[in-house]
Amino acid sequence: MPALASSSSPAVFRAAALRKIYGEGSAEVRALDGVDLELFEGELVVLLGPSGSGKTTLLNQLGGLDVPTSGELWYHGMNLASADEEALTQYRREGVGFIFQFYNLIPSLTARENVALITDIASHPMPPEEALGMVQLDHRLDHFPAQLSGGEQQRVAIARAIAKRPRVLLCDEPTGALDVKTGIVVLEAIDRVNRELGALTVIITHNAIMADMADRVLHFMDGKVHHITRNDRRAPVSGLKW
Amino acid sequence: MIGQLDRKLLRDLARMKGQAVAVCLVMACGLAMLIMARSLIHSLETTRQSYYRAHRFADLFVHLKRAPLEVARRARAIAGVAEVQPGISAQVTLDIDGLVEPASGLVRSLPDEGTPLLNRLFLRSGQWLEPGARGAVLVGEAFALANRLRPGDTMAMILNGRLRRFRVNGIVLSPEFVFESRPGSALPDNRTYGIFWMPYEELANAFDMDQAFNHLALALGPGASEKAVSAELDRLLLPYGGRGAFGRQDHPSDIRVSDEIRVLTTLSIGFPMVFLSVSAFMTNSVLSRLLNLQREQVAILKAFGYSDVQIAWHYLKFAIVFVCGGTLIGAVGGVLLGANLVDMYHRFFRFPALAFQVDAAALGIALGVGVGAAMLGVLGAVRRAAKLPPAEAMRPEPPASFRPSFLERAGLSGHFSNPFRMAVRNLERKPWQAFFTASGLSLATAILIIPNAFRDSVREVLGFQWDIAQRHDVSLGLIEPDSQSTLHDFARLPGVVSVEAFRNAAARIHFGHRSRQVGISGLPSDSMHERAIDAHNKQIPLPPDGLVISVKLAEVLGARRGDLLKVEFLEGQRRVREVPLLGLSDDFAGIKVNMERGSLNRLMGEGDVVTGATFCVDSREKERFLAALKRQPRVAWVAVKESLRANFRETTAASINLIQSIYLTFATVVAFGVVYNNARISLAERGRDLATLRVIGFTQPEVARVLILELGALAFVAVPLGLLLGTGFATGIIQAVNTETVRLPLVLTRFNYTFAVIVVFTASLLSAGVVLRKLKQLNLVGALRAPE
Repeated sequence: MPALASSSSPAVFRAAALRKIYGEGSAEVRALDGVDLELFEGELVVLLGPSGSGKTTLLNQLGGLDVPTSGELWYHGMNLASADEEALTQYRREGVGFIFQFYNLIPSLTARENVALITDIASHPMPPEEALGMVQLDHRLDHFPAQLSGGEQQRVAIARAIAKRPRVLLCDEPTGALDVKTGIVVLEAIDRVNRELGALTVIITHNAIMADMADRVLHFMDGKVHHITRNDRRAPVSGLKW
Repeated sequence: MIGQLDRKLLRDLARMKGQAVAVCLVMACGLAMLIMARSLIHSLETTRQSYYRAHRFADLFVHLKRAPLEVARRARAIAGVAEVQPGISAQVTLDIDGLVEPASGLVRSLPDEGTPLLNRLFLRSGQWLEPGARGAVLVGEAFALANRLRPGDTMAMILNGRLRRFRVNGIVLSPEFVFESRPGSALPDNRTYGIFWMPYEELANAFDMDQAFNHLALALGPGASEKAVSAELDRLLLPYGGRGAFGRQDHPSDIRVSDEIRVLTTLSIGFPMVFLSVSAFMTNSVLSRLLNLQREQVAILKAFGYSDVQIAWHYLKFAIVFVCGGTLIGAVGGVLLGANLVDMYHRFFRFPALAFQVDAAALGIALGVGVGAAMLGVLGAVRRAAKLPPAEAMRPEPPASFRPSFLERAGLSGHFSNPFRMAVRNLERKPWQAFFTASGLSLATAILIIPNAFRDSVREVLGFQWDIAQRHDVSLGLIEPDSQSTLHDFARLPGVVSVEAFRNAAARIHFGHRSRQVGISGLPSDSMHERAIDAHNKQIPLPPDGLVISVKLAEVLGARRGDLLKVEFLEGQRRVREVPLLGLSDDFAGIKVNMERGSLNRLMGEGDVVTGATFCVDSREKERFLAALKRQPRVAWVAVKESLRANFRETTAASINLIQSIYLTFATVVAFGVVYNNARISLAERGRDLATLRVIGFTQPEVARVLILELGALAFVAVPLGLLLGTGFATGIIQAVNTETVRLPLVLTRFNYTFAVIVVFTASLLSAGVVLRKLKQLNLVGALRAPE
């Protein structure tokens, strides 16, 4: 499937006047301060911005981990802003794949079992071996996290995220804990599953270099989308200048 | 100024307040028990000591047939004797208004003028007897209370066959009768047995004892040998029917107080030890796991320049807070419980004042034991914290290394769900942690077994005493030994279904250098009423010409079946004979010596003599039977099994139940504390994993299952082990209650085990409930960030 990056695709997320405010009075922090955006099926979006600019808060809202203080956040026909805990759990289970900076694998389960953790509960999963094959770990199926390198652990985490065939893949600093070489391998894996599965992929990063691999880049500042840049052509990960 | 580390301590404690409270409570339970029991011992001991001293409790006692008062003066002259108090002691029967059965008692004489030199009375209410007064008595407090007698009331007493009415002048206590009970009876019945005092002259007239005595109490001078004085005294009194001098250690009332103190001592060691080891255990697991969770904080503190000592001290303070909290709650609880329990002892022991006195040393011991237990618990953990290199905080912790579990390596992995795999591997990877958790659960289960085993064991003793060993309804003793033909009159009383005669004889039994003063019961060989029972609950037929004695007495004497025992009779012709020990009876209350009645009479050189009888009575005729007994002049005392049983239920059983319920409450608190703590700690340790599962789409119940599976797997191993461990504890503690007045059989019922399992299960369910609530508060967003 080609990487689509146009508004002709249906919007997966639509946010309007999205606000997330922590604290009250003088201690009030506007983590998100009126965000309007649309994210489309199949596109790879990079959220770029300094610490505290609101990108993680947005990712938490998109992932159904947190609810906004005000505004609307639509996932297809579902308003995440007003969904209850049960609906959010169901949404995370079926719709979203998460990739964390520190992998968050279950250390007591092997690579295959970590992936199977998801495939056991999702409706239309792929076999764990297929998911691990997509991140080129089919030879490390029965290794425990402690027996894998950081990059391998992160690829298991990617396999775990994609095994449910999610419509959304959310990555929070996926290379933050990795060296450059390993980071490239991980980004290649993310790039490939985005192309092959067509899932909307959102990557948070501090690293401006990664902007070139995206369809669109949302620049965050003070809880707002400061501006959006669009790449006519996504640069291959191997071509990024580190 | 509070330091930053102390601020951290307070905040950490506030955050883990549930666990802190659980540890404090478990510790408090053990300490409360320790303080309660030690303080009760202290109260009993000091009260007894000061009472004995103030009221001149004698050192030696002797009963005899009759001797002129001049003999008492010769006794006073024996080297080592400081004081003598001769007197008259007589068995009487009573007719108390409103009491169906005849009551009986012991009347003691008081000097006509002045106070007695020894065994002085304490006047609780009313008046002392006026010199030369007639028709007035002083009544022992236990009997007076049980029968609601007050000064000014009157009561009928049969003195030497003559019925007379007496006025109650005063209610008194005596150091000789702290425990008021019929001689030879293991259980008190204060309604039907009492102690009375009247002027010497009046009692002497009634019993034809003018210028004579049949009871002598002696005080020894400093450094005097009790044994030497006893021997000399026995020689002096032999011609006067002396029954052998005995000291305080053989005094029936003092033995009971000493035995009670011994039982309390056993409990004050056994129970708190178990409880405190559980709390040491919990302190250890809470702190070592807290340290694991705070391992990076420790490293950062070190990186900032805090010394190992400062950090070790910081974490030791957690233990100190637990100990101080536990000691405070334990001390308050122990003192309150002790103050309430001391009231219970008023039912058994008659002291002028039995005030609860806190054993200050016990508080010290409690604090010491608590600190010791907690320090033992945390030292290892604190040492590890201090050793942690600071650099470890600077990088995320590598994932813990795991491998397939034993079950999977054994090829059983096919059907395991992933949550189950997580649980089993997690347990196997940290075997010590799993061991500690399981041990905590085991201990929690185990301590639940002990109180119920105690209760069941007492119940068994009573069933044995009244349904297996003693099958008669009523027993009575005659004023004087009489011929068996006397029984014909008794057999004709209304309602008598069967009657069996017995012959009781006072004797001293010797084996090697050991001896004991006992009452030998001469019974029919195949007695249907009073039976000797073996370890298999079967009756031992009394063989001719041999003794069947309590296992406990054999143990005290160091004798075995087949040994020849020397029996020195203390009455009649006072023969000394060697008699083989032919059987051992397994009984629980008092020490028994049984012999076939004909053999006993032959041995004593008497004809067919009886001293009392036991009766089975038609229940419909029982009141008429008892009323008829009231009119029998030859009867010295009557014991009605139902009354004894009812009285026991109201006093001893009630107090045992009280103690048992206190222990059971404590055990339940501990069980809950341990289970709750385990669940909370598991939650804290697995927080990140569980949050990750929630983020990737697991529902709360699914995540809870992971945790519950792990705890469930541990419980599956721990609970059966706990039942086994509890059986061990109960065996140890119950077998330690082994005195001459009472032994306890080990009784472990299915109910006991079921109860323990149910409590632990309920505790687990409730703790699981709390943990589930906490699961809702899991920080999902936090799981995406760096490891904590």
